Amino acid sequence: MVEKKVMSGSEAIALAVKLCKPLVLPMYPITPSTLVPEKLSEFVANGELNAQMIYVESEHSAISALYGAYATGVRSFTATASQGLALMHEIIPIVSASRFPAVMFIANRALSGPLSIWNDHSDSMSERDQGWIQLFCEDIQEAFDTIIMAYKIAEKENVSLPIMVCADGFILTHVYEPVQIEEQEKITDFVGTYNPKDFLDTKNPKTFGAFAQPNTYFEFKEQVQDAMMEALKEIKNVNEEFGKKFKRKYGDGLIELIEMQDAEYALLIAGSTIGTAREVVKDLRKKGKKVGLIKLKSVRPFPTKELILASKKLKGLGIIDRHISLGYEGALCTETKAALVKEKVNVTGFIAGLGGRDIDRERIRHAFDLIINGKEGVWLK
Amino acid sequence: MAIIGFEEKEFFAPGHRACAGCGEALALRHVLKAAGQETILVMATGCMEVVSTPYPESAFEIPWVHCAFETVGSVASGVKASLIAKGDTKTNVIGMGGDGAMFDIGFGALSGALERGHKILFVVTDNEAYMNCLALDSLIMTKEGLKKITEINVGDEVYAFSQSTHELVLKKCSGVFDNGKKRVFEINTSSNTIKATGNHPFLILQRNGKEGKNKFVWKMVEELKVGEEVVTLKKGLEGKSYNFSNIKLSKKGDYKVNKINEVNLPGKSSPKIMKLFGIYVGDGWTRINKAEVGFALPNGKKGRKEAKQLIESLSWNNCLSENENELQLRSINIARFFDSQGFGKGAKNKIIPQWVFTLPLKEKQAFVEGLLLSDGYTIGKSHRYVSASYELLRTLRLLLQTMDMQVGKIHQQTKKKGVLVVKKQLLADSTYGYVCFSGKQGAMLKYANQNKQRNFLFGNEHFETKKILSIEKKGIEKTLDLRVDGEHNFVANGVVVHNTGIQRSGATFPYANTTTSPAGKIIVGKQEPKKPLTFIAAAHGIKYVASASVSNLFDLKTKVQKALATDGPSLLHVYVPCIPGWKMDSSLTIDISVKAFETNVFPLYEIENGVLKLNQKVPQKKGIEEYLMMQGRFKHITPEIALKMQTYVDARYKFLEENNGKKIFDTLF
Repeated sequence: MVEKKVMSGSEAIALAVKLCKPLVLPMYPITPSTLVPEKLSEFVANGELNAQMIYVESEHSAISALYGAYATGVRSFTATASQGLALMHEIIPIVSASRFPAVMFIANRALSGPLSIWNDHSDSMSERDQGWIQLFCEDIQEAFDTIIMAYKIAEKENVSLPIMVCADGFILTHVYEPVQIEEQEKITDFVGTYNPKDFLDTKNPKTFGAFAQPNTYFEFKEQVQDAMMEALKEIKNVNEEFGKKFKRKYGDGLIELIEMQDAEYALLIAGSTIGTAREVVKDLRKKGKKVGLIKLKSVRPFPTKELILASKKLKGLGIIDRHISLGYEGALCTETKAALVKEKVNVTGFIAGLGGRDIDRERIRHAFDLIINGKEGVWLK
Repeated sequence: MAIIGFEEKEFFAPGHRACAGCGEALALRHVLKAAGQETILVMATGCMEVVSTPYPESAFEIPWVHCAFETVGSVASGVKASLIAKGDTKTNVIGMGGDGAMFDIGFGALSGALERGHKILFVVTDNEAYMNCLALDSLIMTKEGLKKITEINVGDEVYAFSQSTHELVLKKCSGVFDNGKKRVFEINTSSNTIKATGNHPFLILQRNGKEGKNKFVWKMVEELKVGEEVVTLKKGLEGKSYNFSNIKLSKKGDYKVNKINEVNLPGKSSPKIMKLFGIYVGDGWTRINKAEVGFALPNGKKGRKEAKQLIESLSWNNCLSENENELQLRSINIARFFDSQGFGKGAKNKIIPQWVFTLPLKEKQAFVEGLLLSDGYTIGKSHRYVSASYELLRTLRLLLQTMDMQVGKIHQQTKKKGVLVVKKQLLADSTYGYVCFSGKQGAMLKYANQNKQRNFLFGNEHFETKKILSIEKKGIEKTLDLRVDGEHNFVANGVVVHNTGIQRSGATFPYANTTTSPAGKIIVGKQEPKKPLTFIAAAHGIKYVASASVSNLFDLKTKVQKALATDGPSLLHVYVPCIPGWKMDSSLTIDISVKAFETNVFPLYEIENGVLKLNQKVPQKKGIEEYLMMQGRFKHITPEIALKMQTYVDARYKFLEENNGKKIFDTLF
């Protein structure tokens, strides 16, 4: 058994990537994801990782080179945040439509306007309609483990979709925690090697990136949607396999239920805020309140069935969004409401943590107070 | 057909949809022949990508990848790095793109790739702009009448819809482009049928509810939906009587000419002669060698009486002979006169010639009355005309659309031998069609508001809006497009359609006319010089940069092979004429390329290891006018501007000459 090591989130993520042995690493640095390419460059420079670094001139080129690498049939990786992800937007749906099983790390950071380097989920939430699986992480260990699971899920033949592994910028990337690093052999055995059927090959020439007329475009999107539905199953399977092999797992892979067995009121949260919310639930439970938490790990595909089952006994459910769809409400709130439209539970939304504002115990407690008293959600400023 | 000295195998297979004469396709084909089988091609979004790979088809016989417009440099880097990671150092990686992909939006990615030093050949196909069409059988309304799109010439005045006044205006056609074979769609309204490519724009009425204002918007065929309303022509401009062209007449005294040939032929069209022509189109024939014009009008048929009266009023009764089945005009001159009007020969090949479309309404009406007297019949207020000639029905349908008539679609049916069709017994199985039409009801004027709901342009003299009834995907056909000055639209098969767009790029030649750098009154064409991409590339310190042209394919081949043998990145700037973009004839691709070389507009040179070398010197330099006059995009160039262009070309060439043989850049790889 390997000992736990104390390390930063970025280091743990870079280490997980290294253990999955990607061959091509197109990188463009952006705070707060920068430590990941830095660490990977170090691995390559020291001969610890045999991969081609491509120091591209923009995030747009980083994801395009990632596309080129997957077209050539090679496992690859890149990392970005905020503006970088926004610049990649044009290529994001091209990668998913091409069914390349890429893995990208997102150090969640607020989108500029005004400029902010701090955490919220506006960057990855803005990309949730583009055919990428989005898995959120609560702590550094989960980020490490999710990178490893992501390659396995993405490369499943019935899935073949790219994955964004999302962890809160600074809160996870720049914080040190003890992380259990698994052995290379076990990880190689778990992830397997990447041997795609189709790639650019002069002996078997194929065309990648053909354009679609109205008679085929629709079907391309339909197939991505079908693959997303397959991913709902495969994320669960891989989480189970991971649990068996490494003795750690994350709920059912899509959502994790915390103190939900007899809960009457609950909060649904994605990302590192869950950690704080666990403490609040402990406190409230001590005071006899029947409260619980739903940790949303998979934002895409959205686990509708699992959420319906989890909410059956609930009287009130609050959604804490670290993002707002301006002009309406938090996107997770809208989506959860839609999933639970036939259920009796009262669903309300909270906007919190925009541009790095803390979501502390008091704010979470306030959210519980409001839903227990049947009040509407507010901005937890 | 392969050129001797070139690989026979095609890696860019025939059957792609590039324009006939496309310079870029020619360059692509020969670059690949020079590079060979062991090549991965990374391509930008653009013409070559669109013409070659409509899913699930592909014209590429080598591995090929496309991502987005500006990603050639970055995707090629990803491919190259992956090959290195796999231990493959042999496979060539070629990144190819046009003006936008290399000079403009993709410039950053190109620069990044040149700076990183990966061994990739970048081929820039320069057609000096960012570069959509109607099927070839489209009929266009012009001042001179209805013309096939293939017969339209630059300068012809065509019907256009004024988007500000909603009036019918005449606009000059400034270009006709062959857009090659493309998939076409057929759009039908209750009275119009038109075929166009998926990206061709049509003028659509956008209704914005009771309070909102309705407006017209351009929409591409692929975005059109059944039920949307297109602007259609309902009535043409009031025309003038047609002056019949002079024909060679036989006079008394000529060999075998008798006195009955002393007939007066009308000099101008009139309702009378038009009515007789109508009857002739339905039931007539001409036999020049027998000096006869005949009408199959048996006794008792109503047309017979009318035809006789018309012949009498034309003072031709001295030539008339008749039996129970036919009327005959026996005169070589009348026969020649009828024959020269362009009505076609034989029942299946009759058409309505374009001059009929230019006639005053009264003469057109007389012509249609004549048609109805022969092969038509009337039920209540609805008329039906029957013909074995599809072209006749198609042109009649369009003629009726210029006469403010309600016209239905063309029905086709096959009847068995012996069946009675318009009171005639069929002698054999026969396929024929018919078209129904009626005059518009005057009572409609009473309910203007309701009619406005149905036809937004109700009350407009020339145009109306009609609902699209069906949109069908048809086969792959040759297509053409027109460019129209001013209104940028024209009337094809009675529907208002939009013309093509060609936009300026960083590589556009100064003073050239594009849709975004128009030749205006104050700003005449593009005002900026060409971006010196080869020098910018060479300044990255790469070992091989060269210009090449489709005018010299052997030079192109040598340069591709030299570039592929270079250690590190290399760049080839290839001159490729664009048929629609340059408003040029599709047979002149090579001629224009040669002229570009001979006028020093596009000199051929290499920058090898930083040393500039002019490849070939022009024995006798030619003036730029020779180059300009071959292309429509320079039509507006005055002698003063030509002089400025000459100065620009000379200065650039002088720089090359002065530095020929000198090391102008350090190589960094």
